[in-house]
Amino acid sequence: MNLSDILLPKKITLNLRSKTKEGVIEELVKSLRLSAPARETLLTTLLTREELGSTGVGHGIAIPHCRSLVVSRVRLAVGISKAGVPFKSIDRKRAKLFFLVVAPPVGDPSDYLIVLGQIAQVSKKLYKDKRLSKVKTPEQLIDLVKELEK
Amino acid sequence: MNTQLQILIALQDILLLIRDAKDPSRKKQEGRIGFKMSNLNSLEETLQDLEEKLDPAVRGQYGRMKQRYGRVVAPVINAVCHGCFVTIPSAIRGAEDRNKKLYRCENCGMFLYWVEEQPILR
Repeated sequence: MNLSDILLPKKITLNLRSKTKEGVIEELVKSLRLSAPARETLLTTLLTREELGSTGVGHGIAIPHCRSLVVSRVRLAVGISKAGVPFKSIDRKRAKLFFLVVAPPVGDPSDYLIVLGQIAQVSKKLYKDKRLSKVKTPEQLIDLVKELEK
Repeated sequence: MNTQLQILIALQDILLLIRDAKDPSRKKQEGRIGFKMSNLNSLEETLQDLEEKLDPAVRGQYGRMKQRYGRVVAPVINAVCHGCFVTIPSAIRGAEDRNKKLYRCENCGMFLYWVEEQPILR
């Protein structure tokens, strides 16, 4: 599975407004366009996952993730915060690039780990790529991800 | 959505998180990617707080399901309970109040949740 296949323009927020970890996760969850109760439940699960340990993997990248009953297939949302947000990351740096991943509990859990691994690899390349700062539309970001996945 | 069902789904998600966090191979795999999974006590507390929000009767059924299967809610996909993979009766299948009322699978007893249709929006 390629990330660019599950990454949709409407799930990309190029200018996240929130200044807190909780706010950013909420903004990304909103972009998934679920019903209000499903959104609320998913937010609870994602924030609970953060209690277990931050999903800020350092180098300005955070990958909040969980498996939840509220989705029937892997869902991905991407966001960029120009100023960065404190995310309790391993290197204590502010996170600027966010990939939110939600997978259903049914199915092979290793598929979900494969997606997480792919995101970790692509996000590091993406964060270092100078073209990221020039991205103006979600479609341009998807094209860039496509190129980095090759 | 029924508020009790909403709590049950959150509980099930957290039970899954706890199971993953206790699984050494899972923890190792997530660790390789760079994720920490260490603060398990906090999750147990969140679980207890949520459990207290369940109505007493629902809490009893929840406790039995949790003990028997380790999970409590089964998603319904294409009219099949994904707790026991048995087709649910047509009377429940067509119910207009699904997710608004608590339904349980007649075969395995798990609470049923009809996963939202999620069309791909491009």
